[in-house]
Amino acid sequence: MTGNLAKLFACAALPLALASGPVIAEIKIGVLVPDSGPGGLFGPSTRNSAMLAADKINRSGGINGEQIELIFADVGVPPAEAAQAALRLWKGEGVEAFVGMHDSAVREALLGRFAGQVPYVYTPVYEGNSCAPGLYITGETPSQQLAPVIPFVMDKESVSKWYLIGHDYNWPRDTNALARQFIADAGGDVVGEEYVPFTVSDFDSSLQRIGDSGADAVLVTLVGGGSVGFNVSFGSFGMDEQAIRLGTLIEENTLAGIGADNANRLYSSAGYFGSIETEAAATFAAEYAAAFGTDAPALNGLGQSAYEGLMLLAALANKAGSLNVQAMDAAAEGTAWSTPRGDNTLKGRHMAQTIYLADGTGGTFTIIASFENVSSSEACSS
Amino acid sequence: MSFALILNLVWHVGTLALIALGLAIVFGKLRILNMAHGEFVMIGAYSPVITSSMGLPGWLQLPVCLLTVGLVALAVERTVVCRLYGRMFDSLLATWGISILLREAVELIFGRGYQSVSLPIPGTVQIFGTSYPAYRIAIIGCIALGFAILAWWNSRSMVATRIKAMVENPGLAQAVGINTGRLSAWAFVFGCCTAGLAGLALAPTIRVEPMMGLDYLIKSFFALVVGGLGTLEGLGLGAGIIAGTQSLVGAALNQTYGYLAVLSLSILFLWLKPDGIHSALR
Repeated sequence: MTGNLAKLFACAALPLALASGPVIAEIKIGVLVPDSGPGGLFGPSTRNSAMLAADKINRSGGINGEQIELIFADVGVPPAEAAQAALRLWKGEGVEAFVGMHDSAVREALLGRFAGQVPYVYTPVYEGNSCAPGLYITGETPSQQLAPVIPFVMDKESVSKWYLIGHDYNWPRDTNALARQFIADAGGDVVGEEYVPFTVSDFDSSLQRIGDSGADAVLVTLVGGGSVGFNVSFGSFGMDEQAIRLGTLIEENTLAGIGADNANRLYSSAGYFGSIETEAAATFAAEYAAAFGTDAPALNGLGQSAYEGLMLLAALANKAGSLNVQAMDAAAEGTAWSTPRGDNTLKGRHMAQTIYLADGTGGTFTIIASFENVSSSEACSS
Repeated sequence: MSFALILNLVWHVGTLALIALGLAIVFGKLRILNMAHGEFVMIGAYSPVITSSMGLPGWLQLPVCLLTVGLVALAVERTVVCRLYGRMFDSLLATWGISILLREAVELIFGRGYQSVSLPIPGTVQIFGTSYPAYRIAIIGCIALGFAILAWWNSRSMVATRIKAMVENPGLAQAVGINTGRLSAWAFVFGCCTAGLAGLALAPTIRVEPMMGLDYLIKSFFALVVGGLGTLEGLGLGAGIIAGTQSLVGAALNQTYGYLAVLSLSILFLWLKPDGIHSALR
């Protein structure tokens, strides 16, 4: 009987021994990706990028010596449902930190639920000025994408008369308010500003107005399908001869929809493109292709931002020595780390980063300029 | 620049009439509320993507479009729609389900991403001092010719009358020797093929992705609501009023007001003149 009991205890001890080994994850991190909804196009590349980041973090010793495991949730749903999904990961699955690639409405809903109790890294391009305890941001804000780029483009292409067109919501409006200032500083004029509803799929009357305005540059803050439709019509009317275009959310998928025929003199400004040629970016792209195959969803700034978010989380938690929000908030300012985007520093909870200007002529992005260590003017006070 | 406004107007009215034609046949004649109409436009728009991914020459786009859309429409008619004649509300639910199925199928094959279709006729032409895309001019010509032929055929053929007889009294129609099964299948496939052709014609000028169909379904319904069901004249009037309002108000004020005007007009018609301007019912 005693022998049997000993055997039983021995069996029970075995899983315990395995559990304390180095291969079993000790920290769960929730990664919030859009698998459905309008952002669903970016779900696969976001997941892939997050998995590469987790692999990289675990290979270099994890977070404070502990291995991490990713748990994904779909946040391509209405904000209240997305908050429920995040809450399930947090309270139900024991997730200790979040990285999110989703729209601003979902971010605000999450901040309400998290209430500064759990660290949360927000990663996509956004309008700026979101500040809360435990919130850290890697995404580009309008000032980062425009301040160095507008004077550069105006000088390079000798253009000065800008027409601003965007979808009718706060990101384009905030972007254009800043753009007006940068254009004026560089000696240019704004000759027109227009916002179109998401339901509009033809842009002929907008193109006529751009033609009539005499603009020689167009700042495009239309998103997704609207951007594709606008740029296709722009090209077919031959308006690329009249004006250059600069977009702050034209990534690889959007450019593929616009097509080589319609991308002449179409510029895009962002913190990441699949075609960045620095060693870090080239290594990242090679690892992505090796892990997910050459047919994998194309690398783009939104999907890749999940990688940035996880690397920031690791750098910050390692610096603070824990995943405690107070400790991380105290350590946040000045955290420095390197990623495929370049050398980054956390300033006012926002990521000061390299901004790239790419030319889409010919249907693929060619990097024509990079601006290092660009910090955001829409960051937080501490 | 004002001549460009007229050309834009003609382009939008023409393409909307072509898009709505299929719905006018399937909804107006067969009484099937085809919610998958936009998906047939979408499949038509994907036919250049099919030919280029299979490495086929460009001139095969038209046959590939008709074949793909025709076969899908025939399958849909024979399996589902043929059981739903005379049950308009049921047809709405069933074809709504089919529309989701078709979107998912296209997503499975080609992915969610945007596709680009290059213009078969690139460049612009000068017309009365306005430069306008040559491709659009060619398509406007084709649509005008197509509708002229259709109107001529419609005035001579007995098909429209037979369809009307079949829908209003299927038993009697069969008794006088009309093969109702074949007639309804052909009418449905013909309607869907015109939607596919519209998609093929529009593909180089718009965004092409699995969700694109919805825009065209809604616009087509608006055109039919305003113009009235069952006649080519009504279809033309409806397309003219809806596309014209969007273009003119959009150009004069902005796109938000253009869309608002279209919505208001459609609601007013549903409220005050539910049969539309030129309806064959009554």
